[in-house]
Amino acid sequence: MKRLLALAFISVLMATNTACGNLGGLGGPSVKIGLVTDVGGLNDKGFNSLANQGRLDAAKDFGVETSVTESKKQEDYVPNLTNYAQQNYDLVVGVGFLMTNSIWKVAKQFPNIKFALIDGAPANDKGDTENLPNVANLFFKEQEPGYVVGVIAAMMAKDKVGKATHNTVCSMGGIPIPSVDRWIAGYQDAVKTISPTTTILHGYSNDFVDQAKGKEVGLNHISKGCDILFQVAGGSGLGYIAAAKEKGVYAIGVDADQSDVAPGTVITSALKRVNKAVYDTVKAVKDKAYKAGDNFFSATNDGIGIGKVDAVVPANIKTAADQALTDIKSGKIKPKTEIQVKG
Amino acid sequence: MPIVSVLAALLAGAVLILISGSNPIRGYAALLRGAFGSPYNITETLVIAVPLTLAGISVAVAFRTGLFNIGAQGQLLVGALAAGWTGAQFPELPGILLLPLTLVSAVLAGGAWGAIAGWLKAARGVNEVITTIMQNYTVVFVMHWLLQNGPMTAPNAAGTPASSPIGAGAILPIIIPNEIVPLSRLHAGVVLAIAAVVVFWFLMWRTSLGYELRAVGLGARAAAQAGIDPRRRMVLVMFIAGGFAGLAGMIQVSGLFHRVFDGFSAGFGFDAIAVALLGKNSPVGITLAAVLFAAFARGGTIMQADAGVSSHLVEVVEATVLLVIAAEAIVRALAVRRGTPAEALA
Repeated sequence: MKRLLALAFISVLMATNTACGNLGGLGGPSVKIGLVTDVGGLNDKGFNSLANQGRLDAAKDFGVETSVTESKKQEDYVPNLTNYAQQNYDLVVGVGFLMTNSIWKVAKQFPNIKFALIDGAPANDKGDTENLPNVANLFFKEQEPGYVVGVIAAMMAKDKVGKATHNTVCSMGGIPIPSVDRWIAGYQDAVKTISPTTTILHGYSNDFVDQAKGKEVGLNHISKGCDILFQVAGGSGLGYIAAAKEKGVYAIGVDADQSDVAPGTVITSALKRVNKAVYDTVKAVKDKAYKAGDNFFSATNDGIGIGKVDAVVPANIKTAADQALTDIKSGKIKPKTEIQVKG
Repeated sequence: MPIVSVLAALLAGAVLILISGSNPIRGYAALLRGAFGSPYNITETLVIAVPLTLAGISVAVAFRTGLFNIGAQGQLLVGALAAGWTGAQFPELPGILLLPLTLVSAVLAGGAWGAIAGWLKAARGVNEVITTIMQNYTVVFVMHWLLQNGPMTAPNAAGTPASSPIGAGAILPIIIPNEIVPLSRLHAGVVLAIAAVVVFWFLMWRTSLGYELRAVGLGARAAAQAGIDPRRRMVLVMFIAGGFAGLAGMIQVSGLFHRVFDGFSAGFGFDAIAVALLGKNSPVGITLAAVLFAAFARGGTIMQADAGVSSHLVEVVEATVLLVIAAEAIVRALAVRRGTPAEALA
């Protein structure tokens, strides 16, 4: 038994050496990109999976060497970011605002390594934002796609299209934080502008994971006459969509194209193209055009948009939505960033 | 026997890595390197092993008394909340006062939370498995409330559901200076964990209370006949179990994050059940099992980063370890029924 153990140990040690050698050989002048997900993991159908898509696209188009690490616990952020930095990766991307302090810690230790953070800026130990010369903060103007889907919701409600018969549109956020509320603000702005008579309701599931809570809010909204439901609540929002599906009304997805979550129920999705943000940042590093500090992704650079529009939406409404996107791009429409209807 | 189950599980994992289209030797090499390959990696493995050890003791101390504590996770979180609150409430206190205060508040809070399950079992006969699971949920939701724009949310949290940072006096210092191991996060919590292992051993095997607890664990009715009231011991042991888990929470706050946030230290309390089982509820066993699981956790992420093998395969390996251990227990039970002495199988 002991001999067997020793043998196993030695063979593993030898393998370690070989593997190291292999890695060294692969090095060369190639650009190396490391992506660290947050605890949502790669299959969240949201910003982690989109960021990974951006990584894979960049690997294909630019021939860069890439790698991904899934964080299991918040304890893992610092070591996972450090691992790439220690190996002199050219760009280390962190996903999600949960990493603001971790990226600050690691980026300060590795001033020669470039970092990027989706949805956040580095925050010091006191919790205050402290921009660093080697961290790019990748932000999105969420109010813009919120506005565009709001146009669709407002016109569907006003024209009483299909099952939208109560002239009432609703939304649900995960928790009341600015990055969630901006979507809703744009959505409500569009409804107020286009159809002032439409009733607007809004609520929170106070959760980003639990579908049951999202469903509860959804059923409550529907009982009050809502027939168009827009969710900004991650996994919990899927429950909001499920409520719409169960009661035969319409829902609007968020972040990624969620039309496949409930075909026929999800009439469109408000998109935040995290993949584009990662892709563009990799490109910037490769072209030596990397910019630290705030980088905004908006209609102007196709960083946002809307997903597949269901056949139930009439052509004139779809055209109006496309027009709204164009107007946002040209600056003619500036969607609000503060929520107007809070209840 | 635990070594055999670990090896069997690693073998099963290797097959899975092969099926997933990667090279298992390269994968395991990366895992080993990630866990122990450099001084930095070793310190990171130990950082994970610390809460696992403490939560493992929490599970084991209850198990030795015949109770199944599934609530280590919730007790850990309550300890973390107490530590985060105390540490942030009195930021100007010197470390000599604030650090013990933070520690004691976390241990008492975790203990009180654990004792609820013990009391329900003793007074009402409510199964502690059920109550501790329910309590885990309760804590998670209370944390949502406290930290998402609630009473404990930091004013400048800027969208991150987190509490205000604790005062400097409540921080556990880094014990390996950055000049020796750059970036090391290894904090004095490792000393507390070792002390806790010794306390666990001393309590259970060197005091009369430990003797009574183990007597209740071996047979509550027999213990009662011998004049040991099992019900009082149940409340007490769940307090002790909660205290160890609460200490784990305090260490994560004071040693690593210096604040509490939503989604804090997810899962340590559940991994701890595996750690206690693999460590056979013994002090040394738990410590070794905690280091092993920490090595899996730390090495698994590096395996994904450097060898492209999904880190979830490591979880399969961990689960297989448990399966083999469980299988061993089943074989033993069957053997006992057939009349073969269990020791003959050891």
